[in-house]
Parts: sequence; structure tokens; C-alpha cells
Amino acid sequence: MNPSVPPSAADYGGDEVSAIVLDPGFSTTRAGFAGEDTPKSLIPTYYGKYSFEGQGKLIYGDDIFVTPRPGLSIHNPIGRDGIVDDWDMAEKVWEYSFTSKLTGAKPGNPLLNGLNDIPEGELPAEMEGVESDEKPLADSPLLMSESSWNPTKAREKTIEIAMEKWGTPAFYLARNGVLAAFAAGKASALVVDIGASNISVTPVHDGMILKRGVQHSPLGGDYVSSQIRALFKSNIPQPITITPHYLISSKTAVEAGQPPRAKYKTFPPERAPDASYRTLLEERTLSEFKECVVQVWPGPTKLSATGPNGVPNEEMARSSPGRPFEFPDGYNQVFGVDRYRVVESLFDAKSAIPDPDSALPAPTQAQTVPELIKAALNGVDVDIRAHLLANVVVTGASSLLYGFTDRLNHELMQLYPGPRVRISAPGNTSERRFSSWIGGSILASLGTFHQMWISKKEFDEHGPSIVEKRCK
Amino acid sequence: MPPFKDEHILIIAPGSQVTLAQLGLPESFTPARYRFPTRMFPGEKKGEYEPYKIRERRQEIKLATNGSDAPKEDVEMKDEDAPQTQEGTTNTDEPKTESTDEPKTEGADSELDGEKSEANGENSQTVEEIFYEEDVASEEGAIYPMENGRIVDWPCFFALLTHVYNTLSPPFHTPILLIAEPAWSLRDREALTQFVFEKFKTPAFSLMDSALAVCYGYGVSTATVVDVGKDKVDVTAVTDFIVNEHGRGIALEGCGGDYMTDRLLELLGPKGFTREMCEQLKRSNITELLPQGTPLPGTAATARQDGNHPASGGPEGVNQPRAQNGAGENDEDEGVLDVAAIVSSGDTSEFLAQREKEKAGTKKGADASAKPVRLPNSKKEKATFQYQEFVKLEPEEGAPNGPGRFIRQTRDIEVSVERFLAATPKQKTGERLSSGFLEDIATQIHHTILAVPDATKRSDLWDSLIIVGNGSRVKGFTQALLATITQMFVLSPSGTIFTSEIPSNFSTPLHTGGTNTPAPQGMPGPMHHPAGHGVNPLLVAATHSNNTAAPNMPPGTPSMDPTFSHHRSTGHSQTPTSVKTIRPPEYFPEWKEQTATSTTAQNPPGLNGPGGPAAGGTHRGMEEAVFLGAQVASKVIFVIDQGLSKGFMSRVEYNENGPSAIHEYVM
Repeated sequence: MNPSVPPSAADYGGDEVSAIVLDPGFSTTRAGFAGEDTPKSLIPTYYGKYSFEGQGKLIYGDDIFVTPRPGLSIHNPIGRDGIVDDWDMAEKVWEYSFTSKLTGAKPGNPLLNGLNDIPEGELPAEMEGVESDEKPLADSPLLMSESSWNPTKAREKTIEIAMEKWGTPAFYLARNGVLAAFAAGKASALVVDIGASNISVTPVHDGMILKRGVQHSPLGGDYVSSQIRALFKSNIPQPITITPHYLISSKTAVEAGQPPRAKYKTFPPERAPDASYRTLLEERTLSEFKECVVQVWPGPTKLSATGPNGVPNEEMARSSPGRPFEFPDGYNQVFGVDRYRVVESLFDAKSAIPDPDSALPAPTQAQTVPELIKAALNGVDVDIRAHLLANVVVTGASSLLYGFTDRLNHELMQLYPGPRVRISAPGNTSERRFSSWIGGSILASLGTFHQMWISKKEFDEHGPSIVEKRCK
Repeated sequence: MPPFKDEHILIIAPGSQVTLAQLGLPESFTPARYRFPTRMFPGEKKGEYEPYKIRERRQEIKLATNGSDAPKEDVEMKDEDAPQTQEGTTNTDEPKTESTDEPKTEGADSELDGEKSEANGENSQTVEEIFYEEDVASEEGAIYPMENGRIVDWPCFFALLTHVYNTLSPPFHTPILLIAEPAWSLRDREALTQFVFEKFKTPAFSLMDSALAVCYGYGVSTATVVDVGKDKVDVTAVTDFIVNEHGRGIALEGCGGDYMTDRLLELLGPKGFTREMCEQLKRSNITELLPQGTPLPGTAATARQDGNHPASGGPEGVNQPRAQNGAGENDEDEGVLDVAAIVSSGDTSEFLAQREKEKAGTKKGADASAKPVRLPNSKKEKATFQYQEFVKLEPEEGAPNGPGRFIRQTRDIEVSVERFLAATPKQKTGERLSSGFLEDIATQIHHTILAVPDATKRSDLWDSLIIVGNGSRVKGFTQALLATITQMFVLSPSGTIFTSEIPSNFSTPLHTGGTNTPAPQGMPGPMHHPAGHGVNPLLVAATHSNNTAAPNMPPGTPSMDPTFSHHRSTGHSQTPTSVKTIRPPEYFPEWKEQTATSTTAQNPPGLNGPGGPAAGGTHRGMEEAVFLGAQVASKVIFVIDQGLSKGFMSRVEYNENGPSAIHEYVM
């Protein structure tokens, strides 16, 4: 994956236009050219909608985080289960992800780019209508990823968009679990993907997912956020409300634990951004909180249990130094044992912080990471379980929670004391966050992959159902 | 392939307004020698472009000998060194015409052909002949191929590149370095690569990201580059010479220098100001962004200085004659002059004479009003700037069909405290709810830095802001932006657990934190801005308390170990604790002299009042640091490295792999 070493012509086909790899997620959408080591384009899957002077406007990309707009509301075309809800908008967001940085909105007219100057006296060839038919992906094959539980309907819809709306000459739909395994250099692996809306465990064997073993549950990064919110509500000395930066006009430094002294901005109600916008920006602060403060109790036992030397783990956690965090309104506090509690329920459902107002239901023990792994392994052939346990691949941005892999390792050792458990989690943040994209980048640039593409012709012949036959 | 030579390297840095270009690297790097306006005019034939507005004029003439002695004008393409030297030589009192007749020397000129053929038919004595004249002053019908950094008109952009290339006429063995705007998509870059190789037949080509070029110019590996353009801002976090594409603020619209012009227009429009006036007012050195909390002159605190203008916000006559204020303004106003423009318009000496006269007049005025002290601009309620405009002259009687003549006229316009309000929130906020563009830029910087995956670098990124781009030239811009960031994002100094008796000094022994109080990571330097609060080192310490590198460090050990910061365990630290800008490098005298020359150039000899004001900020000229970086980089990749580390794409490689291979070389 060294970008400075060109792929040899043999497995890359010299002047071949490189494929575009599109890895749509719930929180972010990644896109880039195959053969590169990181996706060049990373945009939030969220999009903004507002109306200005009677016109409805949509904004995509990072812009939604930066500038508040009158009446702005934030939406996500993808449902909490990782399946597309709103196909029209999903198409637009995905299209933005590759047109904004990769392909450009409109390719220039080749007649006028100075390379095709017509010599004096010759008549220009009639090229009318060429540009209007130009589709955004007319000259790039497209590899897309999908979750392992993507229903047939959604898969067929995806290929329709790619072929008919974007005009791609070749298409392939790959499972993101498989791609993450490829990114780790494995054909068989147990892929544990901790995403924003979902966590999933996907057994992959010889580059194919084992459908019966696929498990997923909603305890992703957003669930951790809801736990943090629950913690803030019951916080001592006072409940914490997160006020995003855009609502603050000035703040004054306050002592730790003291109420914030900030001046707030007010917007006239008809211009004020929607609550969804505020939630989105609160999430920004929460992800900063997750990066700076939150830590997974390293184990080997649960946080609620007693440690090996007889001291309750909670006591141990309490004695470790806390971490300060300052909120946008200037409120700041040191978080001690609480910073372990907010993620503990990923492993131990009983320790979840109760929050009756939360949109997400309280977790069940079956939804926790160790239980999902157990269920996944129970769903596959007993012969390959040991092999899968020796190749656990951890991926997804929420797995970057500090101490997550250590704890997972301990949990697995306890569940499976016999076989050798080995977790492979790339230390590099971008490899962890983009592993399914990277796998797609590897796959699409393999010479041997060329026969796998579904070509435009095949699609025209067989219709969208071909995706079920070809992309297993 | 023989190695490339310094003098053959061609650098082109296109911008939405101005395209910088230079052939050859000088001994010591200089600001760009050529500045082309980034615009072209539609040529006679569709799909062709001319660098200047071409007017068609029919004229009956006796003999076809016109034009051969017409001077070749080279006005808009200002030579940066030229003004000083030309100044002495140009001493015709008569305003020179801004337009020339044929012939021109531009290669591949369509209209040259057109005229030739036209001229072929002239056998008789009296013919009607079509003249084409270049109207360098006109912007009518101009096409700007780049908008907000994006290339919107490819044929026009290619024509511009060709024009730049032909004007500089590089020798055959010339490598080309093109500075790429962040907004260019990968396909755009491929198209440019294809064009450059196939049209210019260059032996080597490299595309360099503009933010990276700025880092080269500043000689730093990690920085947050804020490029303030005409109507957009790019915010880029560069870590270890790698541009972080994710979270990068690309072409943030409505945040560039135009915001300030619009705001001034909003304030001054009711007083009869045009947009052009506001634009020139913004560029003048009386426009300033004052630190927050500074009272505007003319309010109670400063009222005493305004004895002769008691009413603040009084009538600002647009056409007010000069010399009713004190002499103070007069001196400063000289900074406003665009000397190159004056010289090129040809009325230099007339102008000088006029200035001389006025000067004398105001001297008297000053004596009369007996102002005790010269006030800095920020204390004066009113100030004047010089407004320049083109006025078309009536055709002379002798030659009714003579080329259109323009004269550059200057007049003084007085403005009140509005000139300090350029960055304040607009009334017509339009689609934005944020208050002012500085807030938008600050939010974008915050977003961009937070998006950097390597959390350990974020603090460095906050401490190494580089603000470039000509939109940031307004006096006080950097300070105002820093103040906004400080206000919005910098963590307050309250040190959580160590709340009481915060030692202000870093070297005070730290004994409060128990066993593993680490020493702070680095010296939180003094804040740039007076409004910024000092950052408590203890907060830094507390936020890094997970530091494994020095848990047993004896308390009070000054941890100035530079390697220290690399050992932070996971970078679990909230940022920013401080925000700073990087000082520009000082080892390029020409870039420093740019400061000097720009000051002296603005004060023509003989007019230099005692103690003429220095031109604004500390590093004027470094707004175009991107070009300095481009020179550094081209020296490195073309001359020193010679392609060993794939700094550029050679023609052979292009022939083999096609344009898409450029991505492996893009710097």
C-alpha cells in the first residue's frame, strides 16, 4: 500500500482508469480512487436542509458543521440499522462524496480543452449533446461496500443508481466485513466492526461472509454518546447541558464545577436552526469528549467486579487520576470513574446508565460485544472457530476508544480460555477508521479482480437481479 | 535527462484574482516577478481568448502605415521591480494612453491574422480599416476562469495558462511547477497534467498543493494554513508535510476579503459610496480591524481629539476636497498609492506635482489648526484615502477616431469610523447565522484541527497558524482572527484540580498533583493577542496527566526536553490551550524587503513626510508566501532531488502512464 510505488503494469493494466471505491457508512461516507491508501474524500453522511428566500437548499459535506443557517435541519438518508431509508438523498450524498473531490462536478468538454484544436479550415465534428449526457461516473468503475445484512432490495437499488444514474461502466458490491478482513491482509477473519450506529461481528471465510454467523446490535458510537448524555444529566455537582459553540457569544473562565458564565446567542424563532442541528453539533463535542476523556476499563474483570487483588475495580478506577474536560460554554470538570462507566455497557449490559429519555432502548446482554462474538461463533462451523478466534480483526472508529482492544482481549480470553485468541487492530487511526474502504481499494486494484466486475452490458442484459448472483 | 537549471524553472500559481508566475529561480528568492490578472476576454472567434479587452474600431485612413510605432504596452502585467525605476524615467505630463494599436507580439493571435487578411485588400489610397485596440483598463466582458478557487471555465483557464507561458517564453528544457488550489478535484488535476504535457511539451511537471507550498515557504512541517482569498477561505492542517484532506476547509464561501468590502458597502452605501470605492477603502491603510474592546475613536473616550469634528458619524462628503484634516492623515495617505498603477497610467509627475502642492497646503492647514500630536490611525475618528478611478477622456479634436483614452484620476475621500467595522456582522446576514466571517473562519479552523486523526498534533497545529492570502492584508486581520479563536475555543485557564494559587510561572515547583504530576508539555507562550488570557500551565499538565513518559519526574524539573511531546500516550488532551501564529522566515531578504519597498514605494521620494508610517502588519508580502514556498519546493524537487523521490512527473512517465499517474507525484 505504499503510494509512492506504482503498481506494476501487469496487475494494474497500465493506462486503465482507476476505479472509485465508495464506502458509505451511517456517520461518514468515504470515497477515493482504488490503489490509494486512504480515501481522498471523507464526508459526513448527514446533510443539511434549509430554505432561503423561499428556495429549499441542501448542503453536504463538512459545511454542515461550520456555518449555521436559518432554519437548518440535519438529516441522514441511512437508517439506524445501516440500511438506506431515503434513496433519493442517499444518491445525492454519495454522489457528492465523489464529485466534490475526485471527479469534479462536470468534466470539461474535450473539444474546448485546448488539446483537440481543430486545424484551420476543417469542420468540427458534431459533438452536440455529448456533454449533457455526461454522467458523473461515465469513465470510472465503481466498487461499493455494504453491510452484511443489506437486504436484496437495497442491493438491487444500489446497482440501479450506479448504472443508470451515474453511468458507471462496471460495478461491484462488496461486504464491508470482507473488505475489512482484506485490509488486515486476511481472507478468513472474525471482523468486529464498532461503528457509529451499529456494532457488527462478521465471520469471513475465504473471502466470503458466513451469513448465519453475522451479528449486529445498535451499541455503537451513538449509543456511547447517549450514555454520556445520561451521565451528564445525573452529573454531580450539577447536570451538564452541552451548548454548542454557535450558540455562545462569549464565555468567561470559571473554576471547575462552577456554573458556566457565558453569554448566549439567540436567534429569532423563525430563523433558528432545528434541534437536529444542535444535536449534530453536540455530537461534535461528545466525540471530543470520547477522544479526550472516555476510557474503557482495561479489565481483566468487569468494572463492577472485584479485581484480582481483592479491591473493587470501581475503587481502583477512582484512584486513578481524573481527566478534565471543558465544555464550549466554559464549564469544566474533572471526570473520574464516570469516564469508565459510560462505555462499560458495551461489555456489561447491567452497568448501563439508565436514561428514560434516551431514544435508544436500554441494552440487553445479548447486544454486548462479547455476546455478539459468542453468537457469531456459534453460528459457524465448529472447525473454523479456532481459526477465526486467531484472526479477530477490530475496526470501526468507535473501536478507537481508549483501551477498547485490551478489554476485548481480556473478555475473549475469558470466554475462550482454550484456543489461541489473537486480535489484530491496526494502531494507525486512519487504518482503523477506513479499513473497509482500504480493503476495497486493495480489491479493486487487483488484476485478478477484473473478471468480477459487473459490466454495464451484463446489467442491461440481466437487470438489477444480477447483483445477487454475482456479488455473494 | 540532463539536470534542470535554476534559471529554467517555470512556476505558475493561479488564483481567482491574480496569477503569479516566474521563470527561473533567482539567487535569493523574490516575490513573483509577474502578476497576471486571472481573466481573459473572449476573442474574435468563439473559443479563443485574449489577455486584454479588444475593441474593434473602423477608421478611414490614407495610408496603411499606422501602428508600427505605437508603443507596446505592458501595463497590467506589472513587473514588481519596475515601479521604482520607471518612476524616474516616466515624466511626461500628458496622461499616456492606456491602449495601443497593432501590431502585437503575442503568439497565435487570431486577430493578427484577421487584420493581415484585412490589410491585404488595401490597394487603393483610402480604405476602411479595422483596428483592434487593446483596452487594458476595461474589465468589460472579462471572463474569470476561476471562481472561489474552482476552475469554472476550462477553455479560458487553458488560454490563460498559454498566455502566461507565451509571455514568459521559457526555453525548451523547462520544468513546470503549478500550484494547485485545494478546490481542484483529482480529475481537474489530471486534465491540467494532460494539458501541460501535451501543449507545452514540458520535460517535467509537478503539481503542488498551495497549503503545502505555504509550509515550504515558512519552513515548517506542521501548520494550519488559513488562506484568505477574494471570496473564499481555505483552511488546511498540514502535519509532517502531509496535507490532511479529511476535514479540510475547502473554499469556504463568503468568508474572503469580499466580505469586508460588502460590509463597508453596507455601511457606507447610504453615504454615496460605490462598491469600487469600498474596495479601495478596504485596501487603503486606514482600514483596520481593531482589537475587541477597543473603543472606536469619536466615542466619549476619545472625543477630545476631535475638536474640529465634534459630531461623530457626521457627513462624509464623498467629493470632499482634501486638506481639511490635519497633516497627520496626509502622510498616511501616501501609503494608499498604488505606485505601479500611477506609473502605468502615466500621470506620475503630474500627480507628484499635485501631491507637492497639496502637501504645502496641508502643512499650512496643519500649522493653522496647530494639532499637538500625530495620532495613529486607530485613534482618529476620520481619515481620508485616495480613490482612483478611470475617467474616459473626451476624444481630442484633432483625432476624433483616436484610440479611447483614459486617465487615472485620484481624489480623496474621507471616511469616519466605519473603516474599523469591516469585519463586523452584516445586517443582511443572508444564509448565515454566524456573526461575522471571522467566526466562520474560526469555526472552520476548529473543525479542521479536530478532524486531524493524530490527536497529539492538534496542539501543535493550534500553535502554528499561518494566515496567508491577500484577503488577510487588512491591518489587524491576524490579530482579530486570533482574538476570535481565543474567544470561542481556547480553553479557559482554570486548572480544574489545581484551582487555587495557580502559579503563573512555569518553573514554579509543581507539588500539588500527587505522585504522577507530570511537568507541562511545553511552554505556553505569551498570547499574541492582548485579549487572550494566559494559559495556565497546570491545565496543560492536567490534560496530559496520562503521560507515561515522565511519571516519576521529580517535581519542578523543567521539562524542556524537546522529545517530550512525542511520548504522550494517546494524545488524550483537549485542545486548544493556546493559539499562535508562526513567524515568517527571515532569511529571504527580498521578502523582507518587500515590506521595505512597499513602504518606500508608497512614499515617493520627495514626499516622504517625517516618520512615514510603516506599512501595517509585521510581514506584509508574506501573504503570498505560497510563491516563496513554490520556489523553495521547485529548487528542491527539480534541482536538488532531480526526481529521485518522485517530486515531479517526467515526460517519459507521462507517456507511459497517462495523466492519472500524476497523483503519485502530487506534492
